[in-house]
Amino acid sequence: MLEDSGFEDITVGPPVDTFGGAIGEAKARSYEVFGYAFIAHRI
Amino acid sequence: MSNETLVDVDTLRTQVRDKYRDVATDPHGAHHFHTGRPLATRLGYDQAVVDGLPDRAVESFAGVGNPFSLRRLELGERVIDVGSGAGFDSFIAATQVGPAGRVIGIDMTPEMLAKSRATAEELQFGHVEFREGFAETVPVEDGWADVVISNGVINLCADKQAVFAEIFRVLRAGGVLQFADIANGRPVPIEAMRDVDLWTG
Repeated sequence: MLEDSGFEDITVGPPVDTFGGAIGEAKARSYEVFGYAFIAHRI
Repeated sequence: MSNETLVDVDTLRTQVRDKYRDVATDPHGAHHFHTGRPLATRLGYDQAVVDGLPDRAVESFAGVGNPFSLRRLELGERVIDVGSGAGFDSFIAATQVGPAGRVIGIDMTPEMLAKSRATAEELQFGHVEFREGFAETVPVEDGWADVVISNGVINLCADKQAVFAEIFRVLRAGGVLQFADIANGRPVPIEAMRDVDLWTG
């Protein structure tokens, strides 16, 4: 989707356990949800 | 790629605004995600910088990652924070770009905007301002920004392609989009994706 919108040179950082220990942890675990940092450059 | 959305844009916006109104007014309440200083520590923010921010700027922080972890902002850069909430990431950005830079935070929740504006005044950060708006219609002119940041916001927008198109519009050529958001490793059933209640809970 980023490339379709005119971005290139995309980097994704390592996963972060954003929801660990939170009320929403069980739901996050069921779909393997993690936080990520992204960088993309506008063409 | 189709711009068809799985849920109604306005219904989702109302639910998101209600959720984050609660985070603004009751930041230590029972939310399904972490908030505040413990979350900032969990996500690897610079502790000394976070310690220097007042509670009003930090307590309602509800990001999902660290948009500064892959690239530190440069002095003098012009930055837009899409979905700035109570301003936590905007103030981090302001410390990185310095007074020669500019930061504009965009948010749709009045209670969050009130907190971020009060903090900007308290900190006497004249190079930071907060504007009311949506991620799909950012109230900034074409090509103004060197950098767009965002944290845990785009996943809450029904039409993500419209959001990325708007970010493309406000960035200068060669500008940088650096953001944090969630992604799932297992597919979410289509019926769940059409249930607007699950987007914010």
